[in-house]
Amino acid sequence: MKILITLVATGLFAVTALAGEMRTWTDSQGRTVEAEMTGVSAGKVNLKMPDGGMVPFPLANLSEADQAYVREHAPRDVSAAPGEVDAMILTKLQESYLDIKKQQTEVTADTTMDRDQKAKKLEDLQFLREMTYPTKNMSEEQFVRRAYLSIGGRIPTYEETVAYLDDSNRNKRAQLIDDLLDSELFTSHFFNYLSDLLRVREGISMNGIDSLKAGAYMDWIKDSIRTNKPWDEMVSEMVAAEGYYWENPATGYMYTDLGMELCNLSNTFTVFTGTEITCAQCHDHPFEEVYQMDFFKMAAFFGRMETRSPQGEAQELAKIAGEKRKQFEAEWKEMHKDEERPPRFDRTLQDLLGAYRYYISDGTNNRVKLPHDYKYDDADPLETVEPATYFGELVELEDHGTPREAFAWWLTSKENPRFTINMTNRLWGFVFGLSQIEPVFNIPGHLDGQAQNYELLQYLEQLMKDVDYDMKAFLRVLYNTKSWQLSANPYSPTLAQIDKGEYHFSAPVLRRMTAEQLWDSLVALTVANPEQYQKRTLEDYQELMRTDWSDFDLQDGLAMKDRFRSLGGGGMMSNAEEMDMSAVSFGRGINMVRASEQRVPSPVGSLLYDFGQSDKQLIENSNKLGSIPQVMTLLNGDMTNKHMTSDQTHVVKLAKDAGGNDGIEVVFLSVLQRYPTSEELRTADGLVRGDDYSDLIWALLNTREFMFIQ
Amino acid sequence: MKDILNKLDPLSRRVFAERTAKAALGLSVIPAMDRVMGATSGKAKHVIYLYMSGGMTHIDTFDPKPGSDTQGNTKVIDTKSGYQMGEYFKGLAERSEDIAVVRSLNQKTGAHDGGRYTMQTSYTKRATIVHPNMGAWGQKLLGKMHPQIPDSVTIGGGVYPGSGFMGPQYSPLPIGSAERGLANAMSPVDGARSEKRMEALDTFNRGFLDKFKSDEVKAYTEFYDGTLSFLQSDGLDVFDLTKEPKEKRDMYGNGRFGQSLLLARRLVEDGVRYVQVSFGGWDMHNQIDGAISTRGSELDRGVSNLIDDLKACGKWEDTLIVLTTEFGRTPNINANAGRDHHPRCFSGMLAGGGIKGGQVYGKTDSKGYAVEEDPCTPQDFNATIATAMGMPLDKVVFAPSGRPFLLAGHTQDPKTGKILSEGKPIQSFFG
Repeated sequence: MKILITLVATGLFAVTALAGEMRTWTDSQGRTVEAEMTGVSAGKVNLKMPDGGMVPFPLANLSEADQAYVREHAPRDVSAAPGEVDAMILTKLQESYLDIKKQQTEVTADTTMDRDQKAKKLEDLQFLREMTYPTKNMSEEQFVRRAYLSIGGRIPTYEETVAYLDDSNRNKRAQLIDDLLDSELFTSHFFNYLSDLLRVREGISMNGIDSLKAGAYMDWIKDSIRTNKPWDEMVSEMVAAEGYYWENPATGYMYTDLGMELCNLSNTFTVFTGTEITCAQCHDHPFEEVYQMDFFKMAAFFGRMETRSPQGEAQELAKIAGEKRKQFEAEWKEMHKDEERPPRFDRTLQDLLGAYRYYISDGTNNRVKLPHDYKYDDADPLETVEPATYFGELVELEDHGTPREAFAWWLTSKENPRFTINMTNRLWGFVFGLSQIEPVFNIPGHLDGQAQNYELLQYLEQLMKDVDYDMKAFLRVLYNTKSWQLSANPYSPTLAQIDKGEYHFSAPVLRRMTAEQLWDSLVALTVANPEQYQKRTLEDYQELMRTDWSDFDLQDGLAMKDRFRSLGGGGMMSNAEEMDMSAVSFGRGINMVRASEQRVPSPVGSLLYDFGQSDKQLIENSNKLGSIPQVMTLLNGDMTNKHMTSDQTHVVKLAKDAGGNDGIEVVFLSVLQRYPTSEELRTADGLVRGDDYSDLIWALLNTREFMFIQ
Repeated sequence: MKDILNKLDPLSRRVFAERTAKAALGLSVIPAMDRVMGATSGKAKHVIYLYMSGGMTHIDTFDPKPGSDTQGNTKVIDTKSGYQMGEYFKGLAERSEDIAVVRSLNQKTGAHDGGRYTMQTSYTKRATIVHPNMGAWGQKLLGKMHPQIPDSVTIGGGVYPGSGFMGPQYSPLPIGSAERGLANAMSPVDGARSEKRMEALDTFNRGFLDKFKSDEVKAYTEFYDGTLSFLQSDGLDVFDLTKEPKEKRDMYGNGRFGQSLLLARRLVEDGVRYVQVSFGGWDMHNQIDGAISTRGSELDRGVSNLIDDLKACGKWEDTLIVLTTEFGRTPNINANAGRDHHPRCFSGMLAGGGIKGGQVYGKTDSKGYAVEEDPCTPQDFNATIATAMGMPLDKVVFAPSGRPFLLAGHTQDPKTGKILSEGKPIQSFFG
């Protein structure tokens, strides 16, 4: 308990004094007072009375209207935000702690329960009580590992670990967080997160379009992360995207559910508003206020979207490509005319020329009609539906260029009640391992009592608006909290606790690495600079597609085709020939570059597949469950027995250079980011044979400590 | 572990049990926990599901049209049961009393992906959900059957859609090639060295395991240890085809398909509920005569041997063999001497597992264009499989998003709003 109180005390951060206005405040019992707000901290609003006196007043005791006023108008200092978050977490934990303690006292005093019942109940309560204790501040070894894995998506290399541990700068944690957020490590890691959310895959559409290479869309997402494009802009660019795919790769989003526009609307709602409206596609939502008509009104915003070249220049280009295709096919037939079994006309060349047929635009004809079995009274089956929103702001179509632009405006508006809370909630889960509201795809209409910490979630939602959807700024706040820097909770929350909104984040949830984190960590053990190789598709793609085809003959076409093929897809790695020598390849497509630079998704039977990488068929479809192939891969597979222990790898080279016990330390620091205990050192010594560290590397890669992020 | 369980309320305990290795991780470490051995009312405890990928021609196989100009060059042979087959199915023609043929399968799409998806899941492919296949439904409704190995095994590719929304604990174990078996089954180091490595691993694990008592870590550890002891036992021998006599391996045919069938039989014998074997090369747009003679013969040899073998090892009565595909092929021979996609009618086959053999269900017209009698949709076909397995057709299962689904597709009663099974089983197959 002592720890708790001290932390609460230090959680009261300095108030940022900013001039407010004198206004009338009303508390929850209807009493009023004239005062000026000077700031908010630790769940209290600081009121300056007309006589100059300062009164910190509990936010929760204000009227709802005043609470809303405070949320909107409170001066906010982002640098103080981590402290605010900590304070809110601790307040909640303290409440929970006191409540449980009270229950324990009541149970103890209860005379109606029999002894066993009582003992059991007390034990249960004790378990819950222990979960409210903040865990210890983590060691620097734990911090460097968690920071690299959580922000950068992989363990640090030996050099990175040592550099951090040896750094004497008192502010080194915040510094590392900043450095990682601005690095290519974060780009790669956050890309994996977003590509799971957006279902980025080869062939782009559900059934695959070989004419469109995923690399361009991947590049666009990575560049958006690199340049820290605000989330609202990024979403707008995708939802309202127009043009050729290679000229505007954000159109990749619109191709994702090609031919399934209604599903696309459902997915758009799930990803960007945390709202599940799929059921309203066929009937009124059984539990929420979503009518089937609402669904079709929303779908109508996309009803004019075309994916084939519109009239004008684009259609001309598609025509030229079509004629070229005929010419090439004729030349192909001529070339093979003497062969008994002439090969079929080259498929890749057809895909390349076929790409000009795809172009996203909005036409004039709205294709969204009610289904043939529409059964409600407000309209007839097969009636055309005009675009309209069913919550949030009203949209005037005339004010916007296309209906999709109107939709994008509505979706990403700060007034949209779901857009901000959705990403806030998702990012909290990204950082802490569990979102404030689970499941993230179905945020209920009334949040109070649903979120694990409602006040905190509201605070964070406002913070997200204050930083204008600057994702790095938002994440920086969370990573800089004391709460995030505590050692992981040794107990994981029960589902019952989560369901009842009774888990209050005493510390990040202990998590198994994702498939990508595992793979990227293996890359970090193999090469000195894991981010050296970066797949780049977009520029080559654009150059290729901007070609003037008019004078080309078949041979020219085939040469172009080879360049097109090198852009990736079909199991190939894009611009593989440019792969730097520092990127180690173990053959058979096993290239030790980061998961974000590989084909997505990885094929069945690959390590990424076995460890639960999303197949990108569904939103957030990755998993962390165990499977037989996983264990067999780690125990007996080439990766831990051959590849990671070969002389090619960075860790083996370093260990051999160091030799003896120093070599053992190198291996421990490389794999687990900590020094061995004396017992471990003795055990390790028995495993190392001469300068062969293979068995030690194998054993450490098989530990739970390696597989989990504490 | 026990302590933690005691500390949880009944709901959490149930949830916890679901989250731990036994149930959740595809490999059951404590066998008794959720096995429902023999709980099925159907006779088919096991299913060997043979998927002819690419669209198997119906006219050249189960539904010949002798005398029609659409028959092409494939000759027609008589079976013992008074109906006919294409000439490459000699073995199956001899065993016609054991098999039930469906000639009236039909579906809406002529695209491979969509057709395959509907055939295996009873639902149309959508971008908001992935529906589970029959293997996953089996495990969901009938319980986990094999104590260690996942209840669905897929041989030769074609894992998708697998367990769909039911999640990874129902996922099939993919076996790329029957010959190679389960990847990484053997430790690459010798016994003494292996033992030393394992002891060291224990030491290195200790500190972490003492500190973290989370369900996930426990489950993972339990799972890891369970798999380890499973690997060290002879449990994995089932995947090793070299344990079969050479004559037996040769009998099935030494191609991928034959060996896959042999592995399927071994798995079924070992207690795996659902084995799916994919056999590609049926997309015969070009030169169908050459293609059907090799594919058809390979299929015939393998499946005939499988029937004999299941009978010999006493698994015939409780193992259902299913043979199906995404669509048939056009009656007209095209310019490249091949046949194109034809979803309007196609054929499939059921055998063993209590299915009454020697009969044909459904009829197509004299040229093989369209169904004339007793149409059978993919939903009906799956309802028939489910009935053989003893699964209730009207059991509603909810996806995580809260949407309801049934194993053979669903419709809604317009009056009561009740959710009903779309597929209806072929009653005459159950004698």
